[in-house]
Amino acid sequence: MSTHAKPHVSPSSSGGQPAWAGSAIAILIVLVGVLAVLKVTDKLSVAGVVAPLVLPAVIAALVPRHHGWAVRAPLAIMAALIALFVQQMWPAAKEAVEGVQEAATEPKNLLSWLVGLPMLGAIAILFLPRQAPRVLKATTLIVMLLTLAASIPLLRVSYGREYHFNEDVVWIERFGIHYHVAIDGITLWLVMLTTFITPIAAYASFGSINTRIKDWCFALLLLEAAMIGAFVSLDLFLFYVFWELMLIPMYVMIGVWGGTNRIKSAIKFFLYTMFGSVLMLAAILYLAYSYSRLTGTPSFDYFELQRVLLPRNVQLVLFGAFALSFLIKVPMFPVHTWLPDAHTEAPTAGSVILAAVMLKMGTYGYLRFCMGLFPEASSELAATLGGVAVLGGIIYGALCAWRQDDVKRLVAYSSVAHLGYVMLGLFACTQTSIEGAVLQMVNHGISTGALFLLVGVIYDRRHTRQLDDFGGLAKSMPVFATMFIIATMASIGLPGTNGFVGEFMIITGTFVSTKLGHVNGVQAVGAAIGVILGALYMLTAVQKMFFGPITKPENKHLDDMNGREILAVAPLLVMVFVIGFFPNIFLTPMRDAVSRVQSDFAARVEKHPAPLYYDGPMRLEARLADAPKTPPAKANDAKVEGK
Amino acid sequence: MGLMFALSPLLTLALGACLLMLAESFGKRRGGLALGTAMVFFAGCAMSAGVWLRGLEGLEGLDSLAPWLILDRFTLFFEGLLCLGGALAALLAGGYLPEHNLDRGEFYSLLLFTTIGGMMLAASGDLLTLFVGLETMSIGAYAMSAFRRASPRSAEGALKYFLLGSFAAAILLYGFALLYGATGHTDLVGIGQAVRAGTKTPMVLVALALVVAGLAFKVSAVPFHMWTPDAYEGAPTPATTYMAVAVKAGAFAMMLRVLLTCFGDRATASWSSGWPPALALVAVLTMTVANLVAGRQESVKRMLAYSSIAHAGYILVGVVATMRAPQASASVLFYLLTYTVSTAGAFGSLILCGRRGAEAVSYEDLAGIGRRHPAAALPFALFLVSLAGIPPTAGFFGKWYIFRAAMDGGFYWLTIIAFVNSVIGAYYYLRVLVFMYMREPAAGAPVATPMKSGYVTAALILSAILVLALGLTPGGSLDVVEQAAGAFKVS
Repeated sequence: MSTHAKPHVSPSSSGGQPAWAGSAIAILIVLVGVLAVLKVTDKLSVAGVVAPLVLPAVIAALVPRHHGWAVRAPLAIMAALIALFVQQMWPAAKEAVEGVQEAATEPKNLLSWLVGLPMLGAIAILFLPRQAPRVLKATTLIVMLLTLAASIPLLRVSYGREYHFNEDVVWIERFGIHYHVAIDGITLWLVMLTTFITPIAAYASFGSINTRIKDWCFALLLLEAAMIGAFVSLDLFLFYVFWELMLIPMYVMIGVWGGTNRIKSAIKFFLYTMFGSVLMLAAILYLAYSYSRLTGTPSFDYFELQRVLLPRNVQLVLFGAFALSFLIKVPMFPVHTWLPDAHTEAPTAGSVILAAVMLKMGTYGYLRFCMGLFPEASSELAATLGGVAVLGGIIYGALCAWRQDDVKRLVAYSSVAHLGYVMLGLFACTQTSIEGAVLQMVNHGISTGALFLLVGVIYDRRHTRQLDDFGGLAKSMPVFATMFIIATMASIGLPGTNGFVGEFMIITGTFVSTKLGHVNGVQAVGAAIGVILGALYMLTAVQKMFFGPITKPENKHLDDMNGREILAVAPLLVMVFVIGFFPNIFLTPMRDAVSRVQSDFAARVEKHPAPLYYDGPMRLEARLADAPKTPPAKANDAKVEGK
Repeated sequence: MGLMFALSPLLTLALGACLLMLAESFGKRRGGLALGTAMVFFAGCAMSAGVWLRGLEGLEGLDSLAPWLILDRFTLFFEGLLCLGGALAALLAGGYLPEHNLDRGEFYSLLLFTTIGGMMLAASGDLLTLFVGLETMSIGAYAMSAFRRASPRSAEGALKYFLLGSFAAAILLYGFALLYGATGHTDLVGIGQAVRAGTKTPMVLVALALVVAGLAFKVSAVPFHMWTPDAYEGAPTPATTYMAVAVKAGAFAMMLRVLLTCFGDRATASWSSGWPPALALVAVLTMTVANLVAGRQESVKRMLAYSSIAHAGYILVGVVATMRAPQASASVLFYLLTYTVSTAGAFGSLILCGRRGAEAVSYEDLAGIGRRHPAAALPFALFLVSLAGIPPTAGFFGKWYIFRAAMDGGFYWLTIIAFVNSVIGAYYYLRVLVFMYMREPAAGAPVATPMKSGYVTAALILSAILVLALGLTPGGSLDVVEQAAGAFKVS
């Protein structure tokens, strides 16, 4: 207890000139160091060198006067890194150094390190003393930052239609189970999102979580490993293992550190998800069984199972099992009811991770597995599900959010609405809409993550989240108000923020879609109405919380955000604008991968058009062109094709 | 000599049991008995592993015991498994009995002789030896469940167990008698041939019904499970562990052997006119009833008793699947292995969480232990997660294997029901986690203090290693169960 409650502001460095000069010098030194390490100076123009210097200075100057350079310096470094990131990732810059990148070999086993580092960290945590919370917290953060650093090389590859960092090791030979991980341009951003958000959530949580730090750190690291694992695995068995592994830490997080109703919410969360996932497991088993009946060799590999063409009725059932599992996770109406409870009761960091990353499991799973394995069935049901996404997700979620008195519940329902967009984009299945959906997954992670962090900030001060208990907070907490409003703008999709790009792409993509039946225009209009509703509920909430007179005396003298909170939220807010202004950085790597998903999907659907797309016995299709090469040991494919 | 070598696991245990009885009568200190017993069991394990590695081919004199004791890899697997279960139970007893003032040496000899009965059961290929083995195993188990003789609960449970168990034995014996009357054989292979030839079908079917009922009794399947919760709850926890893992494994060995050897032909093992539909119904009932009732228990020990019934239901799904999917019997064997280590670990953790005068029994007893004694709570959580079938533990892989076999056999509905049941099961296993990690004890009540015992710790470490190893790298053990199931020829 006593270790953490130290004030962050030391009187000697409260904004005087010397501290300013000191921080400027420190920033300069750090930057030179970073540039030297990255060996990029020769490729940067003068403007390129200046930008990472000016931006940190501006950011550091924006920090309120009473914060010392313990806050300024990290913020400035963060800003510099983000500026560098933009420069390096800018498509033109990438093309200029294309030759270098082609020559550079992909680091081997990088994905395994990404999964393994947090896992090893979690095991290491078990052996650290419980009585040393600072050591535990530091270890957790260092491991997470190392994971983040290890994920940076993922960005330095140019992504085309193919998979990168492919690793395929036999795990259980008898059942054809492999440890197969790889990423493409779509997974890239989800992995980056995970490695980016988790340290932020962990860092923010160390301010408010004071009990059982060891268990907390263990759960966080295990969760990170499982999430990264689930995103990168391309063997269905492996995917399922990681998918289930995510459940336990999150369950413990909600159940141990949650609010008053935490146990009920935790169990509800667990049982909903588990119910969906066992059905998915049954479907996986059936699919693998069909494959082994066709080929004689068992396999759980995604690219192999993709080849199985099932008759319509079977495909619908299997699709249903997969889709139910993913839609529970998304969550989509009518299986969304666990989400508001889980969010309301979860501790702040739990909510952040749940909203920012774990919900993406559902949308990602739908994109990769439902659309990849059962294109015909997903195409057939896309129109219906799209209608559900608009009515039950976007509009119903928005209306529910509007009626909430509890800010956190409001943000939770807004997630239902936002993920409705993502799902609509996936159902529409055009190049633009899928790109928009993937981008919106990242956007939602960033803006909702920030909102949950900010709700946590006010909850730690007032121990209430009722809208009526606030009012006029902008006067007492100006920094908090500013940050909250920026996050709100991102959430409602104001141009210039990330939300705008994603929603715009989804809506335009949906408008031209041919997959949504005759009413795709209506669905696009419905989605657009959702944007208006979004503005309505978010702005109502903002108005009630921050403006108007201060009616409650408790609100008069609240402390504004402290250094830890600013440090946690700031990178997210910066990313809001980075994505808002430079969406190409994010869209370029995923473009070819999305076009692959979309064209594979379209090719299969065209070959076997609805309504009775395929009614014969199950059979094998050819392996898709962009799949990684099979391990050499498998030679019996030729025999199978002849059958 | 070859015969002696092949029989060495059984002989090791018999010799060890006799020596330990002598040591118990003449020795002054009791401390070493548990260690000695565990050593004998581990020696038995090592012997079966040795015979396994050497292989049974070319050993002289194996046929001399032929219809009575069949020595094949199936038998060897169960000998090893029973020894493992026995060793874990002996280690747990070494901590539990002194702690709860029950330290009487008979327990260990009973453990050994019961295991010998179980091994005989797994090996027997004749109704006579089968029954002798069954009774040897059962009587030892009755005695062990009544071991806490001062406690009325223990006496009640043991009496129930004894009466119903004898009743079941009688039903089984009746079935055997009819079988002999119908076929004129007591050896399983002979019976199988006669059944296949189709002699006296009605009588065979009545016998089949009686045998299945008797077998279901022994594996505590619903609706023949009534004795289980009381007996499991009343018995001292190491005895419960032993009954839940080893006795059940022996009973399943017998079930597989009898059903597949005697009634493995096309007619009696078909969906329209044989045991599979009846057994499938029993499996569904067992899983569903046990899971629903387990969720309503207030005592963790009783919950684990119901959970062991539910697991019998999952295993029965695998037994039903042997009808169509040939690899299903391997999945049953693998499940028994994972179930043994997880359940022994769970009961062991329960033992660890209590001490003299304050045995941890109810959920309330475990409240807050995750915070105060994480070293005791963490293994418990691991074993429960394994029982719930969540990766990457042994329990998950076991379930996965059995459900896969059922799926391959085309039993889609049965598989779905089993899947849904495993979700219901997760609920009550998680409840223990809720109490351990998320609740504090009621006002004024102290948090339970775990006992300190090297034996219990050793048992838990061993089980935990096996749970993780079987979950992460099941490759080697899969080869073993496939060979075991393969050596056991369905004639």
